[in-house]
Amino acid sequence: MTPAVAAAPVSLLARRPEGPLGRFLFWSALVHAVLFSLAVVWARLHEGPEIDLTQKPIKATLVRQGTPRDEKLLPRIEEAPPAPATPKPPEPVTVAPPTPAPPKPRPLEKQPDSRQKLMGAFDRVSKSKPDLTGAADGDPNGDAAVAEGEAYYARLRSQIQRFYDVSQTIPDAERIRLVAQVAIVISPSGQLERARLAKSSGNDLFDSAVLAAVKRAAPFSPPPTHLRDPLQKYGVVLMFRP
Amino acid sequence: MRTLIFCLLVWPLTALAQAPVIEISGANFRPLPIAVPLPQALNDGARTVSGDFDDAFFFDCSAAGIFQVLDRKSYLADAREGFTASTITFSRWADVGAEALVKVQISVDGRDLRGEMRLFTVASGKEELRLVHVSPLDQPRRLAHFFADALYRQFTREPGPFQSHLAFVRRAGKGKDVYLGDWDGKKATPVAQGSINLLPVVGPQGDTVAFTSYRSGKPALYVQRAGGAPVSLVSSGAMVTGASFSPDGKRLAYSMAQGEGAQIYVADSGGSNPQPLTDTPYFINSSPTWSPDGRRIAFVSNRAGTPQLYVLTVANPKDVRRITFQGNYNQTPDWSPRGDLIAFTARDERNAFDLFTVNVETGKVTRLTQDQGNNQEPSFSPNGRLIVFSSNRTGTSMLWVMTAEGQNQKMLPLEKGEYSTPDWGP
Repeated sequence: MTPAVAAAPVSLLARRPEGPLGRFLFWSALVHAVLFSLAVVWARLHEGPEIDLTQKPIKATLVRQGTPRDEKLLPRIEEAPPAPATPKPPEPVTVAPPTPAPPKPRPLEKQPDSRQKLMGAFDRVSKSKPDLTGAADGDPNGDAAVAEGEAYYARLRSQIQRFYDVSQTIPDAERIRLVAQVAIVISPSGQLERARLAKSSGNDLFDSAVLAAVKRAAPFSPPPTHLRDPLQKYGVVLMFRP
Repeated sequence: MRTLIFCLLVWPLTALAQAPVIEISGANFRPLPIAVPLPQALNDGARTVSGDFDDAFFFDCSAAGIFQVLDRKSYLADAREGFTASTITFSRWADVGAEALVKVQISVDGRDLRGEMRLFTVASGKEELRLVHVSPLDQPRRLAHFFADALYRQFTREPGPFQSHLAFVRRAGKGKDVYLGDWDGKKATPVAQGSINLLPVVGPQGDTVAFTSYRSGKPALYVQRAGGAPVSLVSSGAMVTGASFSPDGKRLAYSMAQGEGAQIYVADSGGSNPQPLTDTPYFINSSPTWSPDGRRIAFVSNRAGTPQLYVLTVANPKDVRRITFQGNYNQTPDWSPRGDLIAFTARDERNAFDLFTVNVETGKVTRLTQDQGNNQEPSFSPNGRLIVFSSNRTGTSMLWVMTAEGQNQKMLPLEKGEYSTPDWGP
């Protein structure tokens, strides 16, 4: 028979006298806190410049067909392509058909000219490649979208991108790391119901530029039927990178 | 317990799974829209100088090249708004499109002018920078340039160019006078008057100007302080033009005529101990400009038939390399203090003079001006980010400033006259 005294059960939750473990934990926590705050202070002091003057935007230009300029001549500045006409927000009344039927690619051609103007200079590019399949007002950057849901998201993206202006004061090193998420909710008529910064990038200028881009791009075209409910209930999250 | 685990782990995941994520990249980058309202003068003495201060500060911010200074007429905020983050209605500034806001208060403090500048980020309403500075009461522009430099440094972490000096030539009757003033041409005092004085270069300390003068009949090099007497640097009897100080201020390069040609010489900064660097007796070598490390000199030579830009190594002058192969009239090179580019004037195939930069490493030529009259004689700012040049696009030859990429071209606020050959130095 085991002596009852030696094997007296003690609850694990009962207070025990503080051994070295308690002291160790205290000091460990303190050292961790100090190291952590030092790391935060160091990071703040070593923040990169807000404007990186050496960062030049990448200009990608398509060479037009023609005779090349004589090499011995000094270069000339290319004329900038004509700016797209001021985009007017599409009037939801004329764009959305009165019936709930989803707008097919064909009827989109009958839309008023403001919609064509919205696509701006890209129109010329898309018209010059008649053999590519896609919608008549399709985005030349887009992949051949078959399902309407994807086409809608692609249009959304291209419309927001048109207003996506970011201050060039953000240095290159920071640009690589910046990611902001904006959660938006779109009503069945295409109005922007809610836009909020779901995840900040850490850079105030970028956050405000991203929110401004979304707000200026609204209102959007009305979503197709099968997207209306999800867009109104859960919305869509836009992940912005510079 | 199991419901707790479910709530903690599974439930949030279901919420995340619903909203699709669309990635958007490819932002359009543009200069920072900044609002610069009028400075607040806190007492009467400050009110008299606030006009000068504001002119200088506003122009510095507009010419910096990194800001897009918003038109004051569009400001919606109350002019009597406060100076601290809590008293400023940032939404009104955001409405006009400002992303940053700079407010300045100036007051007279005895014999000094005291200024306080505060920089705010409009989106967050945070105060980013608070700076107090004092300058003599009769120099409000100096205070303005100090604040502009501080603002520039705040955003770019690089020193600003606004507290430096500009030397330039202004026509005076039949002659040409050399002036030395602030970087924007204001507060310019004549340094050399009488006769024809050309090709000024700001001395290494920013208070002297070396220039070529015809006062003795033949062109010779002099250096002079504003208010002082001209000191002859090189007057060997032959024609000497185009002084250029090395970046450390210890040496001087110039071009001296010799027989049918002209050669590049390097001497001490006092003009003694000249050494020739080029040796082409029948060709003209002129307009030397030093690289920022002082090891190389770029110059113009017509040894290939037409004036083109060449680079030689000072330690080994036989090592000469031609760097421009386009155009048939390339002149007035100026080596950027950053070392990567040389700006020069060139005449294009339409017989217009325009400014170009050539990358020293790759040889790529970039055009900076086009179809805007004749633009000549570029000079880089001490930080290599801005270029000042002369242009006759308005009818008379005036001085202009632009970024090193040719953007944001602005005319310097000078009185009417004919200005040429600016040199932007310390």
